[in-house]
Amino acid sequence: MTKLVERRPSDLPLLHVIDGKEVVPGDHNLLQRFVRFLLEPFTGAWHHRALIGAILRRELRERFSGSVAGWVWAIVAPLISLVTYTLVFGGAVKLPNGSPANSAMDYALFVFGGLIAFNFFAEMAYRAPSLLHEYAHYLKQTMFPAQMLPVISTLRAATYATIGLTLMLICQLIFGGTLYWTVLLLPLWFIPFLAFLIGITWLLSAMGAFTRDTAYLMMTLAPVLMFATPVFWSHETLEPTWRLVWYANILTGFIEIIRDIVVFGEIPNGLVVAWTLFLSAVTFWLGFWFFRRQQDGITDVI
Amino acid sequence: MSSEGEVVIRARHLAKAYKLYDSQGDWLKQQLLGSVKTYYKSFWALKDISFDVRRGDSVGIIGRNGCGKSTLLQIVCGMTRPTKGEIWVKGRVAPVLALGATFDLEATGLENVLIGGAVLGLKRHEIIAKFDSIADFAGIGDFMDQPIKLYSTGMRTRLAFAICAHMNAEILIVDEALSVGDAAFQQKCIDWIDNFRRTGTLLFVSHSTAELQRLCTFAIWIDGGRIREGGDVAQVVGAYKKATRVEEDSMSRFSAV
Repeated sequence: MTKLVERRPSDLPLLHVIDGKEVVPGDHNLLQRFVRFLLEPFTGAWHHRALIGAILRRELRERFSGSVAGWVWAIVAPLISLVTYTLVFGGAVKLPNGSPANSAMDYALFVFGGLIAFNFFAEMAYRAPSLLHEYAHYLKQTMFPAQMLPVISTLRAATYATIGLTLMLICQLIFGGTLYWTVLLLPLWFIPFLAFLIGITWLLSAMGAFTRDTAYLMMTLAPVLMFATPVFWSHETLEPTWRLVWYANILTGFIEIIRDIVVFGEIPNGLVVAWTLFLSAVTFWLGFWFFRRQQDGITDVI
Repeated sequence: MSSEGEVVIRARHLAKAYKLYDSQGDWLKQQLLGSVKTYYKSFWALKDISFDVRRGDSVGIIGRNGCGKSTLLQIVCGMTRPTKGEIWVKGRVAPVLALGATFDLEATGLENVLIGGAVLGLKRHEIIAKFDSIADFAGIGDFMDQPIKLYSTGMRTRLAFAICAHMNAEILIVDEALSVGDAAFQQKCIDWIDNFRRTGTLLFVSHSTAELQRLCTFAIWIDGGRIREGGDVAQVVGAYKKATRVEEDSMSRFSAV
């Protein structure tokens, strides 16, 4: 019964499952399996790139052409919040980290950077638990790669975050008169942040498929988390012993780094960068591992 | 099944258990303490299924509601994994399962063709190249640019079949879906399937024994998650018809054992 089939050099897709486990040819020792697991999110995304593109394109079109003003909304919303912060916090002379504010815009940009990161996270946290339910008709009736849905929805949200970031850079340029060269490091910030969010979405969506409590939990947690995250202030105002505790919240690192490279024009602290990278990698693969473990059950319960 | 040609689908002692939880709390307990104690009841939709399908075979699958037909097809497509046993499938599978149920209602026909084609593994340029042919086959005219929610059931079926017919699949899986279209369209589909059978492999599920005998050479009769009879289509259909006349329709078939 468990006689293995010899590997064929054919390019035909092949499905081979024994006792609930996929059989991959040429898969012998633990190390090979581990490496394959680490690579799987990327090979999977590449393999399904046409599908990811098709759904992403359709979601964005729905989001922006479903309304009359379309793209205008995507720009107006962050613009209004930026203006609001400038008006409300415009009087602040000193930035929360102690350095003097150059202009009314400085503090606004300081807050705005934090908000872009936090809102991106919050959108994923709210949407993830119901994500698989939204696509139940695909998952049940077609050979849909469910593990790619969190990737798609994170990329979708990334377009809004990109609009916010662009706006932030434009304001910096107009009101600050110049952009720091460290802005070039932004992609290096964005990629780990995406990885972290995809990981979180894998975790939450797999849990949310089984129990609606995940959605309620996130609705309760996210607003609290906003105050545990230095969105409106800097954790540097805290006592040194407490600072370390804040770094357990991965968002702290991300927010600090984006402020350093966009608002202050400084190279971020190496330790913070290393720690943040480490946490995002762990979240990414842990989320993927958990999702894969639950995947077969997911199509059965949704 | 017996004919020449290489094996494209091989199933050995397939069994599939669905986990039934009494409450969502039990699911959580199973996740946390699963290694210590089991918190779910298993429902075995499939118990022991073994068969071979060779390239070019047309195999009909019959059985009463809840006998495990759909689960078997889902396993062959790779949508769900068997709990026990081995499944081996070689080639691109196009499942025409519950035609049209997979459509995104808010999206237009065109968008659904793009997504549906991508789900089946085609590249964007391949789908776009086939687009005219798909629209032509579906024959729903200007509705291609309208959201699917405005379609009638028949139009959805037409579009769904048209997509599957253009996927260059080696294995086509048709699940009691054709009954929705009108006679002319059904005939078009049957003709297409007839043509497909010359090169491809067909798995066909239907409650219409006439359709089954028309399209298939072999048949498998599934009863209670096991193969009750398999082989030549006329012989299996005959036995099935005879049995349905004798056995009454009792709900006890659905109880979890």
